[in-house]
Amino acid sequence: MKSNNIKLGVSLYSYQDNYYFGKHDLEGCIAAAAGSGAEGFEIFGDAMIPDWPYISDSFVDWWQGIQERYQIQPVCLDHFSDRAMWHNKQLSDDEMYERGVMYLKAAQKLGCKYIRLLHDAHIGTQISPYKLTTPEIAERLLPIAQECDVIMAIECHSPTSIEDPVQQAYLEPADRLGIPYIGLQADFSSYEFCMSTADIELCIHYGCTREVLEHLREKQRKAYFSGKEFSFDEIKGDFEGMLLNEHDKKYLDYSELAYHESVKFVKTVGSYDKLKEYAPKIIYCHGKFYDIDKDGQVDNMDYPRIFKALKEGGYHGFICSEFEGNRRLNLDHWCDEIEYVRKHQKLMRNCLKCDK
Amino acid sequence: MYDTHILTDIGCRSVWEHGRKTGYAVNLKINYYRGLPLCCIDQIELVVDGKKVNQEEMYLQHRGREYPYTDILKDDFPTDFYWAFGQLLRVIVRKDGGIEQGIHHVALTLGTRRSYTPTMVSVCEKDLTFA
Repeated sequence: MKSNNIKLGVSLYSYQDNYYFGKHDLEGCIAAAAGSGAEGFEIFGDAMIPDWPYISDSFVDWWQGIQERYQIQPVCLDHFSDRAMWHNKQLSDDEMYERGVMYLKAAQKLGCKYIRLLHDAHIGTQISPYKLTTPEIAERLLPIAQECDVIMAIECHSPTSIEDPVQQAYLEPADRLGIPYIGLQADFSSYEFCMSTADIELCIHYGCTREVLEHLREKQRKAYFSGKEFSFDEIKGDFEGMLLNEHDKKYLDYSELAYHESVKFVKTVGSYDKLKEYAPKIIYCHGKFYDIDKDGQVDNMDYPRIFKALKEGGYHGFICSEFEGNRRLNLDHWCDEIEYVRKHQKLMRNCLKCDK
Repeated sequence: MYDTHILTDIGCRSVWEHGRKTGYAVNLKINYYRGLPLCCIDQIELVVDGKKVNQEEMYLQHRGREYPYTDILKDDFPTDFYWAFGQLLRVIVRKDGGIEQGIHHVALTLGTRRSYTPTMVSVCEKDLTFA
């Protein structure tokens, strides 16, 4: 078994509502991660470091004390590519590179082994409104990453995935230059096979009909469990007999941006075989989830199969819980992120133990 | 994101100098899951009791400094003054006479530019009690 090489952590992003509404400060979020059984955590400096982008020596002293107190380590700092800094002017590539240097040095100061690099193919190409960090900028950052001893993780998030050829352009310079300071980061969103129950609640909040969404979800599930690729076109006719309101129509037409985050039926599920094949090249993982069912499972991603592929492929590194249901579920009620993460850590521990 | 929370009921009051009301204040929270540089604010618009506040009268107070609202919209404003996630950004409207103590209807439109998604424009309106 190679599962001992996998460690579990929590992205503090999972606790964003607790932080935003002042229920927990940074220490409280770190304590929550440690309390869930995690050995490491990921932090958005942009969100939770009080003086960001400055990191004072006294903050570092506090930061080290916190790691000792809670016996937990910082794993990853998130890099952002804020290109559109001004109304009429955007950062040049040189300035974007300088921002990258800033994040690498911050990660070094914080003792994070990785930065999540917000690269231009993060959610595939032609989707982001601005040019994010390009392969050319990432290549320029390689020597700085080496100097800082911080590895750049390119997060492959739905609708893209680790095996997508667009990701390769970021890895090639590391091979060519012999500076192995960039690698793939798998986000489990690539393995969603149906809408999450959190997506359904979000869409209902916007005005869609539960029956319509649940029918769609059931068809997606049926396709997945029968080993077929889901095709929306094949079930399109099902909706003709239903009373669709304007929101349902917009959702099904994929025409309303507000639903963008929850639209899952246009993508294909990432390949587990490829996940296994690429596992040795993966340096970090986001254990993405949007909801946990009454049995403690994530019911729109196949966690046992994802873990099996990673273990068999020889992945070694952290998998951090990344709860993203909060901003889908919190529109109508308080979303208990701490409970969600606690259950998710338990699920992941069980997946690590499982030999199947 | 966080649309119903971006206009807070914290610290709504007139501001005074030498016993005279010279303006009033509201406090905002960001409409995103992280902090952003002040220069990434695309728009702050306030409509108080149905009347749009002149942007020349708005000032932002942030970490012990004050900036005219129109300054943060300029294309050379520093990129490292962050409106921190979950933290209040105080907006002062400079106006002789301040605001009458009591309940006023305030509508906020907040637009922020972010990196991989389009500019998010959030609208929040509520009745606020000004001290």
